[in-house]
Amino acid sequence: MTLSLRDQSAIVGIGHSAYGRFLPDSQLALGATALKAALDDAGLTRADIDGVAIHMGWPLGIDYDRVAEAYGLDVRWVCQTWLHGRFVTSAIQQAAMAVSCGLAEVVACVNAISFTRERQILGGPGDAEGTREDGGTHGESPPYGLTAPAGGVALGMQRYMARYGATSEQLAAVPMAFRKHAQKSPCAVMQKPMTLADHQASRMVVDPLRLFDCCLITDGAAVAIVTSAERARDLRQRPVYISGMQGLRSGRDEFIFAPRGLGINQQRDVPAGPDARDLLAYRMAGINRADVAGLYTYDAFSPLVLFVLERLGFCGPGEAAAWVQGGRIELGGELPMNTSGGLLSEAHVGGWNSILEIVRQLRGVAGERQIKNARHLQWATAWGDSVIFRN
Amino acid sequence: MTTDTKALPRITPDSAPFWDALRTRRLLLPYCLDCGLPHLPPGPVCPACFSGRLEWRAVSGRGRISTWTVVYKAWFPSFAADVPYNVVQVELDEGPRLTANVVGLPNERLAVGLAVEIDYDEQREGITLPRFRPAAA
Repeated sequence: MTLSLRDQSAIVGIGHSAYGRFLPDSQLALGATALKAALDDAGLTRADIDGVAIHMGWPLGIDYDRVAEAYGLDVRWVCQTWLHGRFVTSAIQQAAMAVSCGLAEVVACVNAISFTRERQILGGPGDAEGTREDGGTHGESPPYGLTAPAGGVALGMQRYMARYGATSEQLAAVPMAFRKHAQKSPCAVMQKPMTLADHQASRMVVDPLRLFDCCLITDGAAVAIVTSAERARDLRQRPVYISGMQGLRSGRDEFIFAPRGLGINQQRDVPAGPDARDLLAYRMAGINRADVAGLYTYDAFSPLVLFVLERLGFCGPGEAAAWVQGGRIELGGELPMNTSGGLLSEAHVGGWNSILEIVRQLRGVAGERQIKNARHLQWATAWGDSVIFRN
Repeated sequence: MTTDTKALPRITPDSAPFWDALRTRRLLLPYCLDCGLPHLPPGPVCPACFSGRLEWRAVSGRGRISTWTVVYKAWFPSFAADVPYNVVQVELDEGPRLTANVVGLPNERLAVGLAVEIDYDEQREGITLPRFRPAAA
């Protein structure tokens, strides 16, 4: 039996701290600011929260028990993912399932990270994961000097370029588009225009990734409050329904930072478009890909934007570098992406800055960034998971 | 946690035969006795058919670069003097892929598809790291 989760839950409150570099606040303090703002936004109080979903816990961020203790919560349901950005969707899905199944009524999804203070974990000798059995989860292999998520993306993008002839100049369209969006986003950290020449002049970090292909290292917190659709209808804000979902894919044909079939790590070397599992969220939401008015993704590195487009079939294998040219993923284009600037230009709040932007868009309060008549917006990642939201 | 020495591989019961053989300048892969396929990284079972009947066999040590990168940032103090250095994945002729470095090749000549063969000259604290060099013509 399949339990349909279409429109059974909704985001009803959002809040965030300041985004910036070397902010003086602790991670917990940033999170408290964001939670207060989200509660005010929803018209809820702290006592209404009976579940927490922590994205990016130890050894990078905050842990659920300290969060509950520090904020004086008394919850009956928790979930926590460790360290990695890849679990945005997992946290939202856990929250949606919990409120749909009655394990909790109101779940606060919390992401609070001081990357500038914790940056040693992102690569080098402090990258404990890279040195565990069988290396890191992005292909890191410290004995050979490969560390940091960027190293894994470089392995994926280099082969992609060799196979399809994609270029660094083409890739630049991604960070340039998101910088334009950030310039319209009041809380974005990066406001300076970025030209193609700026991108090409930015230093090479790990070939073919230049500095401007790598996301910001910032501090900040974001909270999204999830509750049941029934309760959502009685609250202050227009509900943003969680309409369709699909999970994170894993297996030998998957490498977190390469399209399926590219031939990285032990993937088979057989280019292929999306399969049925890549499109389940559309089915659950009862829509087609063409109904998506905007796409939001975990843009830790610019190639991931190309890879998610191919994963979902917006274009074919090897076509994304050409597809993103000419303003196609910019506001006003065919498929606006990461309209508040994403991790590349707004801030690295574990992807939740983009979740908050989706909510603003579907409430119709995104100001000069507003996507006209946005009804369905999609969050999806290169590793295959997705949530489709509707208003 | 800082260290001035280059990291050593974490050797597990599953991968110990791989590292033991490298000390004697041999490259072994775990082969499945049921479906016949080799795999990497070394695991407790065959990932293709889930059989636990594995046998380590010597392989050619030849393959091709399937992807590569050049690291410009000195993330590790122990690699700072090597920057910019390459890291590659090599698809062995037998199929599985291995992450390693290539020696004897300028970074400008790194290319997907380049034929390479194994080199056993890098030793750290009694462990031999597999590296590769351009294949002899």
